[in-house]
Amino acid sequence: MYEVVWPKSPLGAQARRPATRLGDLNGKRIAFAWDYLFRGEELFPVLADELRRRYEGVDIVNYDVFGNLHGPEEHELVRGLPAALAMHRIDGVVSGNGC
Amino acid sequence: MPTVSLVCEGFERQAAATGRGLGFDGLPLAVLRGHVDAQSYDEMITSFIDHTVDQVIAGLTAAIPETVSDTGEPAALDVVTRGTIDEIHRTFVTRGWSDGLAIIPPTRARVESFIAVSGYDPWRVLGAARPSGRDLTIWSIAVNAVMAGCDPAQLPVLVAVAEALLDPNYGVEHSGNTTGADALMILNGPVITDLGFNHGAGALRDGAGAANTAVARWLRLFLRNVCGFTSDEHDKATFGNSSRVMLAEDEAALAEIGWEPVCAGFGLPAGTDAVTIARMNSGLIVGSVFGSTPHEILPYLADGLARVTGWDLTHVYGLGQGHYRPLLILSPVLARIFGRAGWSKHDVQRALFDQARIPAWRFEKLIGEWSNLTTGRRTLVELAGEGLVPAVFAESADPDRLVPIVTASDTIVIAVAGDPNRANAYVMSNDGPHGNWTSTRIDRSFSNDLVCRIDNRDACSAPAPPPTDE
Repeated sequence: MYEVVWPKSPLGAQARRPATRLGDLNGKRIAFAWDYLFRGEELFPVLADELRRRYEGVDIVNYDVFGNLHGPEEHELVRGLPAALAMHRIDGVVSGNGC
Repeated sequence: MPTVSLVCEGFERQAAATGRGLGFDGLPLAVLRGHVDAQSYDEMITSFIDHTVDQVIAGLTAAIPETVSDTGEPAALDVVTRGTIDEIHRTFVTRGWSDGLAIIPPTRARVESFIAVSGYDPWRVLGAARPSGRDLTIWSIAVNAVMAGCDPAQLPVLVAVAEALLDPNYGVEHSGNTTGADALMILNGPVITDLGFNHGAGALRDGAGAANTAVARWLRLFLRNVCGFTSDEHDKATFGNSSRVMLAEDEAALAEIGWEPVCAGFGLPAGTDAVTIARMNSGLIVGSVFGSTPHEILPYLADGLARVTGWDLTHVYGLGQGHYRPLLILSPVLARIFGRAGWSKHDVQRALFDQARIPAWRFEKLIGEWSNLTTGRRTLVELAGEGLVPAVFAESADPDRLVPIVTASDTIVIAVAGDPNRANAYVMSNDGPHGNWTSTRIDRSFSNDLVCRIDNRDACSAPAPPPTDE
């Protein structure tokens, strides 16, 4: 008869509350953050059009402003992302694509 | 800041688990139906507008319900189940804690004995395992090592591997990517002989070397249980591979021909106990190499490197930039052909750089038209013009010109191992920054952790307790 222990390990990350949502996108600046994969160059323009059609006052900041977040400079760009988002006065982010 | 993440169907659980590992449970997702790479433009856009855009808007605007933070998970020393060896085996398989092969039950006494041999503090946290966010502890290394059938003397090797997994250069969080690369560990130093690792016949075969096999199985269990790579969470491998047995280099053959070991190419000098790890995509045998001079055998070896290289070229430029570093494993017989002719490892790398080439059109299709992994589908001439690949890729605009498969000769990794009397080689393509070549030193000195904890320096010289039976 064996009594055995757990092969996993405790979650070390502190649980954090997600940011308060925006409620309305009018008057907000929304950034696109892309990993330059899985047809984002076709999807994000469509998303921008759809958001503008539904919220006249929304302002879109395109993915090329933030660079390829899954490419050769991934670590550097991701590290600098909070500052870049602050610099561009971003209110919310759409990231992609995980496929 | 509010975010919403676009994921293809089937990636929801991985995305949720990644958020949880970072401390954010319940981050909003917007799901792309099916897989975008297999859809026509109209099909993809119609589905996106009809199903996904609303989720994007909801993710940015709608309040997120409170989540309960209590995971209900056991503590490290809790008994999670009890029973016969068959019952333990079935329970571990059912709960997703095992790979299905027989395990040694990780009882508290056996795990403690396993650690005591090295003197580590069981509760020392080496870091946060990615992407699970779980604490990477000596205890968690040891529990999985007991299960895998490792010897306690191997614990310093496992700790070194765990340290490599924590190195951002390696990028362990990519270990579940869809193309399914698997890690290869290469061992160097006196530890090979001291702990009985096999560097000879069947060097990459399960069971040919018990130590090589057990350590490889430990890595697979550790990635599963601690890093979170199970198919219901972070492991999205479409196919994957069996575990890759730990490769030990033939250091005597290396010394004989004056070549440095693999770890020397990554900053750790010859003679160091070291482990080097990278994730490898594909592999193929270069069988029955015929010839007695470097110039006779080089074309076949170069052809093998060129043939094993496909979509991985996106790590020359695309997903990586100069991160494509394929591996050539030479049997000692083949390595001696170079050694006898006075060729250094660098000479061989330079010759392979010159000879392992493919047509430019094929290179461009592999990273663009066929796999869609490089946006814009720029030609090599255009990439070279922007300084993104070396000029050697753009010596002309002829699509039939031959171009290298790597950006520099020293990016080709060469190891020596296998049956000392056979003339075969093995080539593998690597997964670039998704498991980048990383070396760590193995520290086999007795740890002072426990001595410090109990404030008794005399215990430094105390013999380690033997493993106990349950």
